[in-house]
Amino acid sequence: MTILDFSSWLQDVAPSWVASLPTTLQNFMFQLYQTFIYADRWTFFTDGLKITFIVTLGSLLLGVIIGFLIALVRTSHDLSTNKPSFILRVLNSFANVYLTVIRGTPMMVQLLIMGFVIMVPKNDTGTIICGIITLGINSGAYVAEIARSGIMSIDKGQMEAGRSLGFNYFQTMWHFIIPQAFKNILPALGNEMITLLKDTSLVSVIALRDVTKQAQNIVSLTYQAYVPYISLAVIYLILVIILTKLLNILERRLRNSDH
Amino acid sequence: MTTNETLIKIENLQKSFEKIDVLKGIDTEIKKGEVVCIIGPSGSGKSTFLRCLNLLEEPTGGKIFFGDVDITDPKTNINLHRQKMGMVFQQFNLFPHMTVLKNMTIAPVKVLGISKEEAEERAMKLLERVGLADRANSYPSQLSGGQKQRVAIVRALCMQPEVMLFDEPTSALDPEMVGEVLEVMKALAQEGMTMAVVTHEMGFAREVADRVFFIDEGIIMEEGKPEELFSNPKSPRLKDFLSKVI
Repeated sequence: MTILDFSSWLQDVAPSWVASLPTTLQNFMFQLYQTFIYADRWTFFTDGLKITFIVTLGSLLLGVIIGFLIALVRTSHDLSTNKPSFILRVLNSFANVYLTVIRGTPMMVQLLIMGFVIMVPKNDTGTIICGIITLGINSGAYVAEIARSGIMSIDKGQMEAGRSLGFNYFQTMWHFIIPQAFKNILPALGNEMITLLKDTSLVSVIALRDVTKQAQNIVSLTYQAYVPYISLAVIYLILVIILTKLLNILERRLRNSDH
Repeated sequence: MTTNETLIKIENLQKSFEKIDVLKGIDTEIKKGEVVCIIGPSGSGKSTFLRCLNLLEEPTGGKIFFGDVDITDPKTNINLHRQKMGMVFQQFNLFPHMTVLKNMTIAPVKVLGISKEEAEERAMKLLERVGLADRANSYPSQLSGGQKQRVAIVRALCMQPEVMLFDEPTSALDPEMVGEVLEVMKALAQEGMTMAVVTHEMGFAREVADRVFFIDEGIIMEEGKPEELFSNPKSPRLKDFLSKVI
């Protein structure tokens, strides 16, 4: 594909009134045209958004599952009245190592290691899965601490009430403790979700063509950074605003039982 | 209504936290249909004793037989036995994220495996008995303290337990709400439910109990029929205690 040059664009493509605008505005419109319209470049963004969505949702789910499991291990270990069982102690040590390593190394480095040392994906699907797993494992460490604070915040009478009715430890956690803990930690969890959504912009280092990578691709085609990158920022901003709204709705729904 | 059949037998029950011995060897039994009230000064170990009966506190020594099963044996599945032992707490401990009806039906449905319809029917009958049928769809935060505790009682009853354990059920209530909860407990006692009640309500103990335990310093210092125990206390500790609370 040949590079579009400004003068031929002004002559052949742009509506005639553009020529009467100041030069800076003409230039801006040229960039907009190049970024979104020329050669259907808007599809770069929509394709990138698909990847961003998939990676965000996948790693969010994985992160919440890992986070709650780790939190369960840690709270069961810390709250057990007797000496914790051998298995629980092993799991707890594992959880501590996991938290230390994941929170102690940068996400970018984790992506590089997973992408080029551990998983080394060969195709697109593999790369997406690699991205989801890496971000999910990373997010899980942060969710774990959030979830732990949530579980600890629930009065121990709730556990006793559940156990006294004949539920076992995990049933009590599932039916009574976790739903209440989840409600309490929703604001903090929302924060983590927003961070995660924005952190998906790092997956370009393992050659995933998310929306950030696609913006970079456009820049490398047009040699102009202004419009693609500002557009990229606006796209993330809109996504975060939508996510925040959704979380607010969820929070209001869950608050129904407090009157 | 006391029968001769022993429901719970306690042998040399001991419990210590770290280095503090709370229970120092309790031997007694509770018969089917019997109402036992447990009184004593705070810190005497009476709540710990009650909580040991369904193993919310794990005893550090001794044995507890429920029927003929030793529930302190680590091989015993305690969840199975807790289904038959209802417990009512001082702080109610209703599940705040569930309606009254759901609070009551979740255990029968998920633990006993009965159908939702049957559980709801059972729950509504119980709610009617305690005058709260119109609150079935309320959340706990919408109820008064007395209503919460009545719900907590019927929640336990919904499991159709063989014994009910009450851990200071009226201590967290405003004075004007104590009566409504005690009424429910009295009715339950009259129906022949086996009950163990840790309480500071001496009037209730005197009127309803078949037997009263006075626990102090980790042992049953004195036990007997309420009329004897209250009007003719033998140990100086009990005399002292009664002079303070009555």
